[in-house]
Amino acid sequence: MAKTYDYLFKLLLIGDSGVGKTCILFRFSEDAFNTTFISTIGIDFKIRTIELDGKKIKLQIWDTAGQERFRTITTAYYRGAMGIMLVYDITQEKSFENIKNWIRNIEENASADVEKMLLGNKCELNEKRQVSRERGEQLAVEYGIKFMETSAKASINVEEAFLTLASDIKAKMEKRMEANNPPKGGHQLKQNDHRKAESWLSRCSLL
Amino acid sequence: MKMVQTNNPETDFKERLISAVKKEVKQLMEEAVTKKYVHEESTTVTQLCAAVEACLSQGLRRRALGLFKTSSTTALLHKIAKFCPDAEHISKMVQDIEAQDPSKRSSSSSESFNRPPMLKKGSSSSVTSVMSASCSSNTLASMKYLWIRLALYEKRLVKIIEYLVDNASSYYDRDSLVADSDYGCILSSLLVGPCALEFTKSKTADHYWTDPHADELVQRHRISSGRRSSSVSSRAPIINFKRSLNTSTDEANTGTFKSIASCTVAKDYVESLHQNSRATLLYGKNNVQVLPKDCSEPMLGYLSLHQHIQTLTIKWTPNQLMNGYQEAEDEEEDKDSYWAYALNINVDDIVYVHCHQNRGEDSGGTVILVSQDGVQRPPIIFPEGGHMQQFLSCLETGLLPHGQLDPPLWSQRGIGKIFPWPKSVRRRILPSVMESFDETPIDYVFRIVSKSKHEEFAAAHSILDFVRSAPRRAQLSSCSTTGSSDCSSKSLSIDQHPLESPLLQTQQNASIEMVCSTMRRQIISRAFYGWLAYCRHLSTVRTHLSGLVNGRITPEMKADEEGLTVEKWNVLNENGVAKNANEVFRLVYFGGVTPQLRKEVWPYLLGHYSFGSTLEERLKQDETCKHYYETTMSEWLAVDAIVQQREKEKTARAVAKLSSGSNSGQDKTVRAVEIEIGDLENEVFEDMSDLSDPGDLEFDDEQKTPAHTSSSHLTVKPIPRAMKTSTDSGHVDEIAEDSVFDDQVASDFQAPAATPKERQESASNSSSSYDTVGNGYQGLKSTPSAQLLTSEDMEPKSVLSPEYLSADDFQEHLHDDQEQVLASAGKGEERESTTSVIVTNASVDVVNWDPSPQKTTRPMSPLEEQTVPTSLDALQEPKSTCVSPASSNGGVYSSELLEQFGLNLHRIEKDVQRCDRNYPYFANENLDKLRNVISTYVWEHLDIGYMQGMCDLVAPLLVIFDDESLTYSCFCKLMERMIDNFPNGGAMDMHFANMRSLIQILDSEMYDLMDSNGDYTHFYFCYRWFLLDFKRELVYDDVFSTWEVIWAAKHVASAHFVLFLALALLETYRDIILSNSMDFTDVIKFFNEMAERHNAAAILQLARSLVLQLQMIIENK
Repeated sequence: MAKTYDYLFKLLLIGDSGVGKTCILFRFSEDAFNTTFISTIGIDFKIRTIELDGKKIKLQIWDTAGQERFRTITTAYYRGAMGIMLVYDITQEKSFENIKNWIRNIEENASADVEKMLLGNKCELNEKRQVSRERGEQLAVEYGIKFMETSAKASINVEEAFLTLASDIKAKMEKRMEANNPPKGGHQLKQNDHRKAESWLSRCSLL
Repeated sequence: MKMVQTNNPETDFKERLISAVKKEVKQLMEEAVTKKYVHEESTTVTQLCAAVEACLSQGLRRRALGLFKTSSTTALLHKIAKFCPDAEHISKMVQDIEAQDPSKRSSSSSESFNRPPMLKKGSSSSVTSVMSASCSSNTLASMKYLWIRLALYEKRLVKIIEYLVDNASSYYDRDSLVADSDYGCILSSLLVGPCALEFTKSKTADHYWTDPHADELVQRHRISSGRRSSSVSSRAPIINFKRSLNTSTDEANTGTFKSIASCTVAKDYVESLHQNSRATLLYGKNNVQVLPKDCSEPMLGYLSLHQHIQTLTIKWTPNQLMNGYQEAEDEEEDKDSYWAYALNINVDDIVYVHCHQNRGEDSGGTVILVSQDGVQRPPIIFPEGGHMQQFLSCLETGLLPHGQLDPPLWSQRGIGKIFPWPKSVRRRILPSVMESFDETPIDYVFRIVSKSKHEEFAAAHSILDFVRSAPRRAQLSSCSTTGSSDCSSKSLSIDQHPLESPLLQTQQNASIEMVCSTMRRQIISRAFYGWLAYCRHLSTVRTHLSGLVNGRITPEMKADEEGLTVEKWNVLNENGVAKNANEVFRLVYFGGVTPQLRKEVWPYLLGHYSFGSTLEERLKQDETCKHYYETTMSEWLAVDAIVQQREKEKTARAVAKLSSGSNSGQDKTVRAVEIEIGDLENEVFEDMSDLSDPGDLEFDDEQKTPAHTSSSHLTVKPIPRAMKTSTDSGHVDEIAEDSVFDDQVASDFQAPAATPKERQESASNSSSSYDTVGNGYQGLKSTPSAQLLTSEDMEPKSVLSPEYLSADDFQEHLHDDQEQVLASAGKGEERESTTSVIVTNASVDVVNWDPSPQKTTRPMSPLEEQTVPTSLDALQEPKSTCVSPASSNGGVYSSELLEQFGLNLHRIEKDVQRCDRNYPYFANENLDKLRNVISTYVWEHLDIGYMQGMCDLVAPLLVIFDDESLTYSCFCKLMERMIDNFPNGGAMDMHFANMRSLIQILDSEMYDLMDSNGDYTHFYFCYRWFLLDFKRELVYDDVFSTWEVIWAAKHVASAHFVLFLALALLETYRDIILSNSMDFTDVIKFFNEMAERHNAAAILQLARSLVLQLQMIIENK
């Protein structure tokens, strides 16, 4: 039984409110920019399927409310996440400073081997920049994660960021699957009912 | 199964092709049964098509199709279209689809698999609407084996293949599969089954490359429910709580099954013979003979043993019924007669199993089942090869754990009576038994002993003791009361020896008694279980749900009533006194408020105005509220100014750090100074808080204190900053020469009147509320400049730090400034009597308040009001830190407070700017009003702080009232209920739990689905609904009408009306949710995509009826 996709990756976007998480997601899933987004309440997600090395990967990207107060609901989604995008706004120093807190949040709630990536969004607003590229890079190095400056508005690096994160997850997963044969745990879909069908067919000689 | 073994490689190949088709057909039929429907894009379908394609391409004479046709079988289809009407139909469909999508030349045998179009670049927003319309054809066009697929969906594939087989000579090589007399027929007959299936387009677990948008789901549902013509389409939600009394959900499942697949009875029946979700197939054997009552010849058929949840069934179906689903009319009558022969025996009804076998030979054997009433069922004659034994052992397994064969097949109890088991079948038989052969036929009788499933029940109720005397199953009470698991039949095994017809007479007498007692027992147990389930159900209702609705059921509106109309309101609101609260609430609950009355009525609904109040009282109340609001606002505006200043500084610092890197002494200072100039007076506060922290001090107190005493707020601030900078970089001297700075200062000082304008520009977001800045600024200057005179004269140099103001012209500027300021101060007093007063005494502020909302003097005045006390406080108590945020004349703000409120303001700003920009009302400065209301609330509730979502709650109120203070008051009232929904409130979890109980009671089918998806219990998909009272789910006009109903509902029907609204939303789409068996994530996505697309009126109506239903259930008790 062929599958419509080979992997399902659950990704999570976190970061202070107003840094542009929803816009990044919208850019990635619909390739459009919308200036009229309102603050995200609760939780939402979008789907996009990409292809990497001939594998179809369904990305289920969860968009969360930025305000820390809503942590109870957002952390419920940390657990299932295989990749997390940490987003800050390069024109908001504070949002960059808070990345530390978000990382701590991840450490507390997400699985230990979750792939992370740091995004400095709104990089088209260079004249209002408060956080230099170097600082972003430095922080990423500090945490041993990848870093990109993105712009949902100008469509810079958004696609690349998600593809990078997805391929990192894929690499990690395939490595793990190789390590422990038979493949287990990963989100590869297998057809179990196939076997079941065979077993009763052997008993029944109907046709 | 026909398996011709042959050495001919070509026949072998054909055999393989055919068996591939067979396999796929089986798969597909299996899927149809287990999944209850087959998705059009199911991979089994594709695989079947591939197998068929392979068969059809084998030996196809390409020349017959013409030279230019490359795509073989599709070309064949088009070719035969002229002669075969079914082919013509399909051919046309294929061409239509290809015409729609010219880019894709569908070739059924093409190897490249075009994947379905993906929502991607260049197809952004318009796609969604187009998608749903053309989706099906689009995806079809890109599919493999298009024509076979279409023919299958259209149920014409068999006909086409039959045509091909009949006319194989024209299109196929002589030795091809299709031309083969046997295989050709086999192929066409194999496909009869699949062609009878209904295929669905609706989504199953993972059949989609991209998930369908909610719109598409809704549309699909509309289409499919129309086509189905079953009751599903317009069915009201299942609110039949009685159904949950039926212990099994089987019925529901069957119902859905039928409606979805709309199968024929026959197909249903045949499918029921397979293993499926409801029954396990324990045994199946074809070519088992049965001698039906009025037949002389035994008939061959398929014997099977099925285990259902509660029962065990033996089925036998004549072969004639098993051969596919031929629907030719002439056969139809024949078939009907065969149905009469089919057996369907519930093992519960069977008491004895008689087995007859000829000893010495392995001759199958005959089984006769005797039921409780003593009637023999037609003999079942097994073919050779130990099938009977197999059947019996399967039967025995199936009876466990509630029953068993007596004597057990494998025990020694009936010594000498055990079958000569073939060793392969049962190894546990004792060898000695195996050997005891003799010449006579062996006949055995097994009794089916049943330990009742209801043993605890029976044990607990002595009322049932009478059954003890009943022969069959009488043991159940005795053995279960003793708690023994040994279900011995000793007490009652009246016939343990071989039984034949002579004994039937006595048996029948006993049987009648048995039937009676069984009936009695069943009636009583049914009644008991029914009662028990009902009690449990009601206790759930009582404990969980009785608090959710008001006990009293309010009569519905009369037909001629339309909610709270203007006329009604005029009657109710006689002389401006609205007295009959209940009537108002009732009208609003059932019919809403006429839009133009909302501004007037909403305050009542929200509890701001009390019913029975007079117009004067309300005016007074408004006045008070306004005063309160404006006072509060003035307080936080002061802080806002400080915060903004800090923010700017911080920004400046960050920008400076960033832009200048290491060589920045000059830049830094200049930037810092530039920015400060606009809001210099605020720096005092900032300085205060900075200085109160000893760690921050970079210059000694001697210098600092005079700076403050002199209150030369224009100069004080830059100095410490400059000093700080100088210690950092040592480049400060250069600044003195910096003309930019001087120019700035000069212009600022010389033209104070111009400054406010600059500020207005910089403080862009709130131009309207800053109108009075100019006056305030002047007023402000009048005081400190007086002091400036004295202090500066005393020690000018220390104040005006030498670092960057060694130049004398600064002093000149200052003196110029004083003159200017004095002059303008006089002017300011002329214009606004308030300004000078405010400056000196904060409390006077309220007294001198100008209540007229048109005059914009108030918002900024508090700024000045704070200024003087602050500096005075600073003098007396430099270390004093905090004053209550609400205190109007405190003036000193702790850095924590500033930080906290600043953070809140920042968040508010972020959300306000994003709030409903599409809605015309918020296209302009009304956003500032929004900001003011929220900030005021947050200032008053700093412990709560701003939480995302508040903005959404204020916005509709502001749209209706268009009055800040009234909006504020009503928002406070609204928040009394809403605050608990926000994090840390705890109401959300309660809502989720209540939702769960409600769904359990009111829609058990949905509940089952949710229960099967464990995640569902989180109910996060309704988080936003409850947090914002559905504000984001509906368009503005609907939000208004929904909110007022929610408010009124509290007094009429339910204080938790939101729950019923949520349930109504869920129920509105229940069929889509159920038919797509959506899990939690699907539901989240669905509802997020459906936001603002709901039919609010219908949902409100449904919600009201749900309330009523629950009330009825509770009242009935």
